[in-house]
Order: sequence, then structure tokens, then C-alpha cells
Amino acid sequence: MADEIVRFNRVSKRFRLGAGHDSIRDLLAAGMRKLVSRPANGRRKSVVRALTDVDFSVARGEALGIIGPNGAGKSTALKILAGIVQPDSGEVILRGRLAALIEVGAGFHGDLTGRENIYLNGAILGMHRAEVSRKLDDIVAFAGLERFLDTPVKRYSSGMYARLGFSIAAHVDPDVLLVDEVLSVGDAVFRLRCMDRMNELVCNGTTLILVTHNLDQMQSVCRRAIVLDRGRKVFDGSSQDAVTQYMQAISQTYMSHRGDLSGREDVPRDVELMGLTFHDGTSDGVVWTRSGKTISAKVRFSLKRPVHKLVVELNMRATVSENLVSINSGRDGVMIHAGSGVQEVRLMISGLPVRGGQYFWNVRMWDGDSGEMLCDSPFRYPLCIDDGGHATGILCIDHEWSIIRSKSTISIPKPGVSCDGDSEIRKGEHENLPVR
Amino acid sequence: MRAQLANHADSSIFEWLRYRHLLWVLTWRDIRVRYKQSLLGIGWAILLPFSMMLVFTFVFTRAVPASSIMAVDMPYALFAYTGLVPWTFFSMSLIGCVNSLVANRNLVTKVYFPREVFPLSCVASGLVDYCVAMTVLVAMMVYFHLTGDWVFVLHPSVLFVPVIVIVQVLMTIGLGMILAMANLFYRDVRQIAGIGVQLLMFVSAVVVPVPKDGSTLSLILSLNPLVPIIGAYRDCLIYGHLPSLGGFVYASAAALLVFVFGWLCFRRASYRFAECI
Repeated sequence: MADEIVRFNRVSKRFRLGAGHDSIRDLLAAGMRKLVSRPANGRRKSVVRALTDVDFSVARGEALGIIGPNGAGKSTALKILAGIVQPDSGEVILRGRLAALIEVGAGFHGDLTGRENIYLNGAILGMHRAEVSRKLDDIVAFAGLERFLDTPVKRYSSGMYARLGFSIAAHVDPDVLLVDEVLSVGDAVFRLRCMDRMNELVCNGTTLILVTHNLDQMQSVCRRAIVLDRGRKVFDGSSQDAVTQYMQAISQTYMSHRGDLSGREDVPRDVELMGLTFHDGTSDGVVWTRSGKTISAKVRFSLKRPVHKLVVELNMRATVSENLVSINSGRDGVMIHAGSGVQEVRLMISGLPVRGGQYFWNVRMWDGDSGEMLCDSPFRYPLCIDDGGHATGILCIDHEWSIIRSKSTISIPKPGVSCDGDSEIRKGEHENLPVR
Repeated sequence: MRAQLANHADSSIFEWLRYRHLLWVLTWRDIRVRYKQSLLGIGWAILLPFSMMLVFTFVFTRAVPASSIMAVDMPYALFAYTGLVPWTFFSMSLIGCVNSLVANRNLVTKVYFPREVFPLSCVASGLVDYCVAMTVLVAMMVYFHLTGDWVFVLHPSVLFVPVIVIVQVLMTIGLGMILAMANLFYRDVRQIAGIGVQLLMFVSAVVVPVPKDGSTLSLILSLNPLVPIIGAYRDCLIYGHLPSLGGFVYASAAALLVFVFGWLCFRRASYRFAECI
């Protein structure tokens, strides 16, 4: 990459677990133990590898998202980049001025007023006094704290505190801005303004590195993302593919966790759930389907006793958030009389209007007469949906464009002819066009 | 500019130029916070050494008159105050330094800048208090001159005071960095430093002159580089002559040594601060 501004070269970092020696008394005690007995091997091994041989580079003006489950090493990567923590091995190259927003208002002092803290925090983030004075009005307006400027920040609410912190960092104008999971604060409107501001910075040429668990936010700012999992880079590519990869990573964790829970159940159940499979008419047991395509879901279970009024419910979630879809036979007024033995229930769904990604399903069953819950499976049945890369957002709905008042016309490129084809054609005219 | 973050701990002039501004802001913060919600505000910078001077004057001249105090050939209040002002600067800065990294844990673990800024800003804010407290010394000199207890002659040796201040500052920074770093790894250091500073006050000719009777104890005590530093203030301000060369050169060399050693140690260890705090 010709114009790379940040480069990680096989960066590794390990942290020692445990408190270490916090007082000389501990040190003396540890020293005595070392003298008396051989060093305990167990203590030596308590090391966690936060990052292992992580490589990536970021081009000037690029917005890179870093996602991954908790403990994947995202924050460690940012701290190494910010210079707060030294890597054990590997090198980090940075060309330009960097501002790190690892925690909002990290340098605030409660006894100082909002105005004073703007100067203080500005200086901590590398701004000069004149620069802060010039931007003071913008910072205050962005945070929406005009009335509280001369109040000590110890009297601020946590939202006000966070707003001021982000606002200062957003006005630093660095070459590289690191943002670590700070947008979970503030109300929805403020969060949207933060997103706008980040987009604006990127448009103006700032390089942005964003660590977040909010995948929608990440996708709306970053074209490219890397996925970290247990200290290793497992994916580097478009942010959409990264999200899929990430969801796979966390769904494994989630399912193994749920597996632990169900393993502990010792209540005998009247129902044994044998599976939930999806079918799209072409192949049995599909895991991939296209957005909007009709599919059927088949629930297979075995009953130990006949259930006169069986209620079956299927729920779908994107990750581990709330249900996106909940379909309940009881609410639909469908009566299922189920005898004992192996049973199958089929549900036709005429198109799931959701964005591409990985989704998880669960099955619940009740005895409609007694209200007793017979089955509540974990969200362990995956269904991947492909929207052809058209949709961002949550839904993928049918749509068609037309122009009403103009002489322009709309042309739809034939499927398969994408930008690659275009650049091939234009290459004859411009010699130095980038070749992808 | 190509900066290698893997070598962040490398000090460079450029880095310092960039963060110099931060040093002033943190110093301003320290002073601002110290006197916030206080009625007397910066007045405490004067009141603290002044009230200690009153206490020691009362104790050593009225309550339990000590023979060593009798040996002082100037008004004792003057002797005590010229000792206590630089001493307060030294001890307050040092105690501030010891705690500076731990107290700013949030910044150490969340933001990068040269970590020296913390102890340096403690010393810098102490220096501001020191300058404020020094103005009272002028008032006292006028008072004693008017009462005729001590005749002051304005002597060019006053111009030497900034040099003494520089030596003292170097010494304080060096010690402060060593202690701040040590306290980050072992919190006991703060307690020990508190006791040490108390003890040091009585052997540094601050309120009690150091015995000069040629005994082994007096020889050991005379090795303390703070003795010539505090003595030099009295030489220049009260007696009106330059400090004795030998003692002052010894103190300056010691201060420089402590400063360089402290800074180098601090630099070497600073990349581990965020993990170990």
C-alpha cells in the first residue's frame, strides 16, 4: 500500500495474570518462597496472550473497524497503537499525529469546570491553547452544554460527561483517530451526531480506527474491518463480510455457553427436540438462502405423551439481541393435536425480508391446555441469508427506482457487470487507473 | 515523519516540544485544583511555611530553647523561614511526585504522552507556590531591617539565587521520578517517603542547624546535599555573600547525578507503567 499511515507487523502482546507484587510485603513473601521452595510452575504459566502475530495496515483516509468478542484483544491493539502499552514483539509504524479516544473524559478533573476541562483535555489530546480557544464554541455546541460550561464536571450527569469527552476528541483533527467503544453513551440523537461527525472526519481525510460492538455503527462508518478472536486476526476485508465472520465467532461461543446450561438440566422432559431444518425447494437442510425467497422450516420432535393442544413457536435472532421474528402457532389460531412418538411440524415462510447475514433460530413448545412449557431450545439453529450485498440496515425490502421529473434515464447494469468491468473499459483512457 | 511506536520510550526533542504545552496545562490544573473550594486559595502557599515558621520559632525559642538554636547568629524567625520556604517546595513537590502517577492512573492507562509530565508538573506547581512564599521573605527582611535586628545590605549575590533554585529543582525532579516510579510498582513507597521527608527536615539545616563538631554523626550529616543548598539560600539572601564553593559544587554534582539517574530509570521503565499501575 503506497499511502499507508498505520502498520502492524506481527505484533504480539502477553499479559501476566494476577496482581503481581503490589506491596513490598508481597515481594518479600514471594522472595522467601523462591528461596525456600522451587518456583511454582502454575504461577508462571498464568499468562494471557492478548495479541498473537497481528498484521494489518491502514491507508491514509481509510476507516477501519476492529470487531471481535470480548477479550479478543481489540483494546490492547488500540493501546499499543496509541503507545500506552508496548508490544512484546513485532513493530508498529505510525506516520502522523494520533489522537486516541480510549475512554471519554479520561483526563477530566471533577473539580474543574466544563470550560477548564475542555482546555485540559484538549491539551492531553495534543491541542494547543489557541486551537482549543478557536474550537471552543464548536465543541460546546456539539456537546450541547452551553448552559453548563461553568459548572464543575463533578456535577455533570454521566451522559453530559461523555458528550463533552467525545466532543473534544472529535474536534482534535488528528491524522489518525482511535475510537474505542465510546459511542454506547449518550442518547440516540447524540449517537447519530457522533456517527455523522466520524463520517465527516473520514471524508476530510482523517484515518479512523474504530473498535465497537455495535456492528451497525461500524458498518455505517467503515468500509473495511478486521475481526480479532482470542488475540489473532481471523478476518480482514469488507465490513459486511467481517460482520458475518464475527457473528460466526460469537455464535460458537454463545452456543457452547448455552450447551453448558442445557447439559445441567436434569428435569425429565415430555418432549425431545430432534431438530429444526430449513428447506428451499431445491435442496434439503439448507443453511444458505436468498433474502426474500420462500423457505419452509421443519421441526422434528418426539413426544413421550400425546398433547392435545400443542403450541409451537419459532423465534429468529440476528446475534444474541432481541428476537427479529417470532411465529407462534397458538397466536395464529392453529391447533396441533399431537400423538406420542416422533412428530414433524412444517412452517412455510414466504420470504424473510432481512439483510444478509447469519441468523439463529430456536424452538419453543407448550402444552396449550396446562400452559406448561415443554421445550425451550437455545438459539442454536443457524440460517445464513444472502441479499446479494445490496442492503445495509436491518431489512431488505423489495424496491424499484424511477425518476419522475428529469430527462435522465435509469439503466440497470446487467448482473455480473460490476465496477471491475467498468474499470477495464476505462483503463484504455487513463493509463494510471488503479487496477483492482 | 516516521515515528516508530515500538520505540515510544525514546525521548526526542520533537516529542518534548509537542508536549511542553501539556506540562503547563497540567501544572495549571494542579494549582487550580489545589486551591479550588478554598477560601484563602493561593494564600496557603504563604500560610503554610509561615505558620510552620511561627510554630518552630515558638518551640525552639520559647517552649524548649535548644542550645543549637542559640548558635544561630541571625533572628531565628528569619533562619527558619529561609529554610522552610525552599523546604516546603522540596517536600511538597516530592510528596506530589510520589503519588503523581498513581493519582493520574486514568491518564496513564488511557492516553499516551511522555510520563515525565506528571512528576514535572508537580515540581512546576510547587515552584509557583515557592515564588509566592518568597515574596513574604522580602517583607520579613524589611521588617527585621526596620526593627534593627538584622542589617541587610543589598548584595549582587542575590542574583545567584536562580542558580540555587535550578540545582534544587534538578534534585527534586530526579528524586521525584525515582519515587513516583517506585510507588507505581510498590505502594509502600508513599508511606516511606512521608516518613523520610519528616526525618530529612531535621537533618537538612531547615529549622535546626547541622552540628559542626567534627563527630562521626556530623560528618555523615554533612554528606546530605540539601544542607549546602539550603545554606546557599541563607548565604545569598541573609548574609549577602556567595555560598562556599566546595559545598555548593558538591550539591550541584549530586543534584545532577540524581536527576540524570532518575530520568534514565524513569524513561526505561515508563513503557511498563500502564500495565503495572
